[in-house]
Amino acid sequence: MHILIIEDEPKTGDYLQRGLRESGFGASLARNGREGLQIASEEEVDLVVLDVMLPGMNGWEVLAALRAREATAQLPVLFLTARDEVQDRVKGLELGADDYLVKPFAFVELVARIRTLLRRAPVREDDLLCIGDMEIDVVRRKVRRQGQPVVLTAQEFNLLYLLARRQGQVLSRSLIASQVWDMNFDSDTNVIDAAIRRLRRKLDDPFPIKLIHTRRGMGYVCDAEQGQ
Amino acid sequence: MKGSLTLRVSLAFVLIVALSAAGLGLYLYRAFVGEIERRDDIALLGKLRQVQQLLGSAGAQALLQTRPQYFRDTMSGQENSLVRIEDAHGQVLLDINAPGEKYPLPPAAAAPARTTILAWTSRAGAPGQVAAGTAWVDGLPVRITVARVYADRTAMFARYRRQIVLACSLAAMSAGLLAVLLLAHGLRPLRAIAAHAALVRPGRLDSQLDSAGAPNELRPLIVSLNAMLVRLHDGYTRLSGFSADLAHEFRTPVNNLLGQTQVALAQQRSPDEYEELLASNVEELERLSRMVDSMLFLARARQEDVATVRQPLAIGEEFARMRAFFEGMAEERGVTFDDAASGTVLADAQLLRRALANLLSNAIRHAQPGSVITLAATVRASAAGQETELTVTNKGKPIDAHDLPYLFDRFYRADAARSGEAGSTGLGLAIVSAIMQLHGGRAEVRPGPDTSTFVLVFPAA
Repeated sequence: MHILIIEDEPKTGDYLQRGLRESGFGASLARNGREGLQIASEEEVDLVVLDVMLPGMNGWEVLAALRAREATAQLPVLFLTARDEVQDRVKGLELGADDYLVKPFAFVELVARIRTLLRRAPVREDDLLCIGDMEIDVVRRKVRRQGQPVVLTAQEFNLLYLLARRQGQVLSRSLIASQVWDMNFDSDTNVIDAAIRRLRRKLDDPFPIKLIHTRRGMGYVCDAEQGQ
Repeated sequence: MKGSLTLRVSLAFVLIVALSAAGLGLYLYRAFVGEIERRDDIALLGKLRQVQQLLGSAGAQALLQTRPQYFRDTMSGQENSLVRIEDAHGQVLLDINAPGEKYPLPPAAAAPARTTILAWTSRAGAPGQVAAGTAWVDGLPVRITVARVYADRTAMFARYRRQIVLACSLAAMSAGLLAVLLLAHGLRPLRAIAAHAALVRPGRLDSQLDSAGAPNELRPLIVSLNAMLVRLHDGYTRLSGFSADLAHEFRTPVNNLLGQTQVALAQQRSPDEYEELLASNVEELERLSRMVDSMLFLARARQEDVATVRQPLAIGEEFARMRAFFEGMAEERGVTFDDAASGTVLADAQLLRRALANLLSNAIRHAQPGSVITLAATVRASAAGQETELTVTNKGKPIDAHDLPYLFDRFYRADAARSGEAGSTGLGLAIVSAIMQLHGGRAEVRPGPDTSTFVLVFPAA
């Protein structure tokens, strides 16, 4: 999967390219709108990350040009804006953008959005999820480790199920708050940390293999391997 | 000049005074002229009666023929008195002072009245009046015509008219001048206001306009301007205080970022140490980022630029969701929840949750370990109608009375030592207050002896 980043701010462009490559995507970087349009027409691009504030040709114009060309009319576009104004968002979505993020944003949030747009996020919708020695019976909402039942509250189960379905993906605290409790705003981060600690006490503490890992500064990930 | 108040008012003054002076002058002139004419007419008739009496006395016939000079002497009190006596055949018996004048012929009667007097113009062109009467001279009827020339009187009237016109013009001119002077004086407080307004600068908003000596009509203006200055001063002070606070709040995380990064770069470190540094940096940056988000939210809420979709929300469900969200954190702090609420509240779901989450996170932080946090909803009748109140009560150290008015201010922390606590931006309650304002309601705090109750007041639907 190849992602085209159109971003004029040098540091932003560089870290986006590097971060996306390390997350397993191919990434090209264009420093202005014209260059971006050229790359979009010449290379195989699966998704565009577009900054709105570009010198010369601005993001809206780039978006309109992309939509006007047959080859790129359906290309998913995620735009980045520093101005969290309702009109801005409405304008972007009206022009045919698929999603947006307001700067500053968490990098894991960007990756999560990109995966959703590319519909290639390995979200597991099986009835039975197995990670290491853990089994999750999704239908009966039961969890076992090493064959022994682990009793969780409804909230704890929802939290674990979210992490398990996105096995190996780092989920930010705000994503967790939004998905598990429908809290779509930056809330007290201690709440998520406390909820994870509680889940760990029941799920990980009694067992030698730990499944829920903290990625400092990013969020939490569920995997059998510690990873890096 | 169309916009000049002085010019317009002065012209109006001139017009009013000129019109009233002219009216008065005309009235007085008419009265004067009428009176003079009446007197002259009475004098003319008197003269006629005198002649009639003279002719009616015995021996008048002889006297008329033999001593016309006697008549002349008797009649000619004034040069302009003209008397003509004719017999029944039109034969002139006597013609004093102005022989040959052509008179109109007023009806002659034994007892003439003012109504029979006619106007006449002498051969010399002077205006005059003529009266006529009858008499019997030795048994024969005679006609007496008495006339008078009023050249002096006409000249006097003309002079009088000129004086009136002059007086009117003078009065109008002085009125205009007076109006200009009065307005210049009366508008002096306005010029003082303008001069004061010209001195108003951001840093000098607290100087008030002086209303002493100002006329009553301008006092409301001065009072409103002063109130406006107070509001501007308040807003400006808050805004500049806010910028200072903001810079101060940014200083701590920026200082941490700068300091720990520079220390780390001062010598070679192990990868673990670099990782630790970066993770710590991310935490500080997240704090900054949250602060920026909250600031933007507050700024937009202030401009009412936050989309709110108000819908009826089941209070019980919202409380249950909050309880579930804070389950872990409450458990760690040994706090439990007590909520028993029914009914609905008309609110934006995400904003209501944000407000409740901020209140609950505060309540858990300040609750006594082992205590119960109570969530409740009540409907109260107020002057504005039915208000729905959602309350969050925690047991703990009471809030200091002097902190109460500032609790909902941005960056106000009752506990100064806690300002560095991770996750606390000092904006939580300010956001709660802003959310309630977006709903047309308000946020309140009700301190108890050992409890703190925060209240979200939603107005009637």
